[in-house]
Amino acid sequence: MDATQFVNELDGHRRYLLRVAELQLRDPDLAEDVVQETIVAALTARGSFTGKSSLKTWITGILKHKIVDAIRQKQRQPVSVGSFEEELDLDDIDALFKDNGGWEAKPSDWGDPESALSRREFFDVMTFCLEKLPPNTARVFMMREILELETGEICKELAITANNLWVILYRARMSLRECLEQNWFAQQAR
Amino acid sequence: MINCRKATRLLSRAADAELPWIERALLRLHLAACDACTRFSQQLQFVRAALARYRE
Repeated sequence: MDATQFVNELDGHRRYLLRVAELQLRDPDLAEDVVQETIVAALTARGSFTGKSSLKTWITGILKHKIVDAIRQKQRQPVSVGSFEEELDLDDIDALFKDNGGWEAKPSDWGDPESALSRREFFDVMTFCLEKLPPNTARVFMMREILELETGEICKELAITANNLWVILYRARMSLRECLEQNWFAQQAR
Repeated sequence: MINCRKATRLLSRAADAELPWIERALLRLHLAACDACTRFSQQLQFVRAALARYRE
């Protein structure tokens, strides 16, 4: 692949990279910077792109590192250190259950959920639901499910305990499931 | 026996780490008797699959 073609292909993934970075960092300017750095890094390291994985996978790998670096730097700035405390309280999630631990309202029938995967609108709802998560919860959840970091890495990176991490991921999954049910599957069933 | 609230917590945790055998057994026992949590479990797997697609 020659340089021009390479740049063009990279540019084609720009929007995707930006979306991932924005969801992760919640800061459009910072996301823009991180994507810029990622593209520069990709150009510099062009020789190491072997074509074994797709360009998208390769550049997403670079983006992951840049996002983690950005988060790490953010953590060091006292002003923006979000406290996890209030997001560790599971009262709102526990409200989905009765006192005896049974479901308040059982999960509804989603029909054939697989068919949603081919619908663009479904992923718009997914974005909406991810953006609705509390900021720290969203950040941690994205580190785990979008950037695919191991739980140990996340704990180390954010200096939280494994138990806190599980609580945060649990809250994120419960909220996301609930949000998709209300905003996608319930609408489809009408 | 574990209740549904506990079952959903274990199901989430199982997505990140292998559960100790006792919890795995309790969970399996609960799922065998609970349609709602079985459905929840499938939905959780679907959400993870959808996130994988979202990632691409």
